[in-house]
Amino acid sequence: MDKKSVLIVDDSSLARMMVRKIFATRFTEWTLIEAKDGEEALSLSDGSLHLALLDFNMPGMNGIELAEKLMVKHPSLAVYLVTANIQERMHQRAESMGIGFIKKPIAESKIADILQQVA
Amino acid sequence: MFCLSEMEEDALKEFFNMGLGMAAASLSQMVNNEVMLSLPQLKVVPYEEATKMLVANEEERLVAIRQNFTGELTGTALLIFPGAESLELVRTLLNEQMPLEVLMELEQETLQDVGNVVLNAFLESFTQMMSIQFEFEAAEFLKGSSHFLLDISSHLAAQKQALTADSSEDNERAFVLMMDFKTHDEEETQHTLGGFVVLLFSQYSMEILKRELKVILATL
Repeated sequence: MDKKSVLIVDDSSLARMMVRKIFATRFTEWTLIEAKDGEEALSLSDGSLHLALLDFNMPGMNGIELAEKLMVKHPSLAVYLVTANIQERMHQRAESMGIGFIKKPIAESKIADILQQVA
Repeated sequence: MFCLSEMEEDALKEFFNMGLGMAAASLSQMVNNEVMLSLPQLKVVPYEEATKMLVANEEERLVAIRQNFTGELTGTALLIFPGAESLELVRTLLNEQMPLEVLMELEQETLQDVGNVVLNAFLESFTQMMSIQFEFEAAEFLKGSSHFLLDISSHLAAQKQALTADSSEDNERAFVLMMDFKTHDEEETQHTLGGFVVLLFSQYSMEILKRELKVILATL
């Protein structure tokens, strides 16, 4: 069976390392694609992609702006914003676009729940 | 001289980002409006430079809520508003048109409540991945110039705990983490508000923080 791909976009190396560690120890059947901002993410997302975990507050485009572009390229992509900053209006806007939320710091159990839904 | 590796600096900015994210969510609920955050800035700088980061005009009067913390990690968190903005925040929170003199009477008490909620959310989130123990002191209301607000020696002097481990060198350099924020009102029915959150540490605390970052990074 082909490996599934997850795109992780965060300007913080620490945040990417934390997610990478979770996938490397628990969910090894997934291939990770990492990017430090929206522009890099778009340039790396031409191939098959199943899940995107996006930071909200990044240089250049924010997580929601990036999600909009990714969802045009990959209409069936599951997208989650990974942020500690979950505000009502942001939540409503993301929800209307079909984007989920994961609270930082990211927990392994939350990733497990999401992967079950994506599988 | 104290310095952080690129990775340690990145980690600290991310913790700051998470802390202020939580604080912004709390503030957003209070003002019933979206709160936009800048990217975090982190600097180890002399106080003069730190004050310039805060405002272009050094003479500008600022209002701040100070939350000192003591324990393994000792420092000061400040929620800072330009003077005029603080009254607008009070007006927004109370959601009523009030005469200026009434607003001014309520300013201190209201902003202290805001500071308590916002800075507690911030500090708890900032340190949730660390094993550092510390206690918060009561939030205080301050008015003054950026120079006054960023003078860590005055904050340390105000703390209850004696800081014998700190040296006089601490008065020369501050460890400044700073993010600015503003409310965003799509319908433009409210005045938009802006301000800063600043964390100041003594050099002794900076060393403790560095040690803690090394431990966290070693687990990844």
